[in-house]
Amino acid sequence: MRMWTRMMEFMSKRMIACDEASFLISYRSDHRLGFLRWWQLKFHLLTCHLCRKYARQIVELNRSMEIYKEQCTHESCAHHLSPEAGTRIGHKFEKELNAK
Amino acid sequence: MRIFYLVPGIHLSTLSMPDSPEHILEPQHWMERYGDYLFNFAMVRLNDREKAEDLVQETFLAALKARERFMGKSNERTWLTSILKRKIIDVYRKKYSARESSLDAYEVDVSDGDFYRSENPFKGHWMEGKGPNSHSLLPEGELEESELAGFIQQCIEGLPPQLGAAFIMKMIDEEDSETICKELGITPSNLWVMLHRARLRMRDCLEQRWLK
Repeated sequence: MRMWTRMMEFMSKRMIACDEASFLISYRSDHRLGFLRWWQLKFHLLTCHLCRKYARQIVELNRSMEIYKEQCTHESCAHHLSPEAGTRIGHKFEKELNAK
Repeated sequence: MRIFYLVPGIHLSTLSMPDSPEHILEPQHWMERYGDYLFNFAMVRLNDREKAEDLVQETFLAALKARERFMGKSNERTWLTSILKRKIIDVYRKKYSARESSLDAYEVDVSDGDFYRSENPFKGHWMEGKGPNSHSLLPEGELEESELAGFIQQCIEGLPPQLGAAFIMKMIDEEDSETICKELGITPSNLWVMLHRARLRMRDCLEQRWLK
């Protein structure tokens, strides 16, 4: 029995709240968690439906950022120089180029 | 240097500069070839038309000045992009120094008054309405890609500047964390907390947009 109380004490001291859990969720998209951290997060996720949703959404966020990055380096959402700005920069540049 | 004499297979000529560079510079075509590309590159990272236009111009002028130092190892576009990248980082830095004091708030502390409760029995729990609401961040069914890009752009714009800078360098430029820390003058733990905070806000912002 004493063993059990000890174990519960040990566990409750290491329980984490949603703020730490959500930090770990974000952190694990770039790192491997250590065993204690991993276990703390698993335990929290068992009991917290909000953080379970959060974890799923962060995966989606990371994936959307991938899509965004792909798109924005290609044509579909690319920004273009306005013609005025284009000519302005072009003129300025040509002046410099000819001065050389 | 002398050790190379002893290594078989490495001829001394390979250690000196190549006689003919693989790439040459043609400044007269820069504007038409790379103007749009560089502008887009800056826009994605700064989201400020005027600033982006200025940076494109500055990049071209700086490149013209530094023309002699071009080694011909990378192609023109890569070279120009690397110059532009330096300029963008300078802009990030300036944004920082303008708000130096707020950087102190980003110590290694995961609590965030905007999202978590701070009163005691519920300390660290999600604040009402700030936690995730819907099952999925993205709406059901096929997603208009351009729509997604627009929302992400708006949400990045809404991030506090220092979070935005760290988030963009990490997620879009895919810089390694060492580089980001060095450029922004922060510690790795600062960086992970900042990325966490940026993701908190991005998630919240995107969810709000889809619900509308």
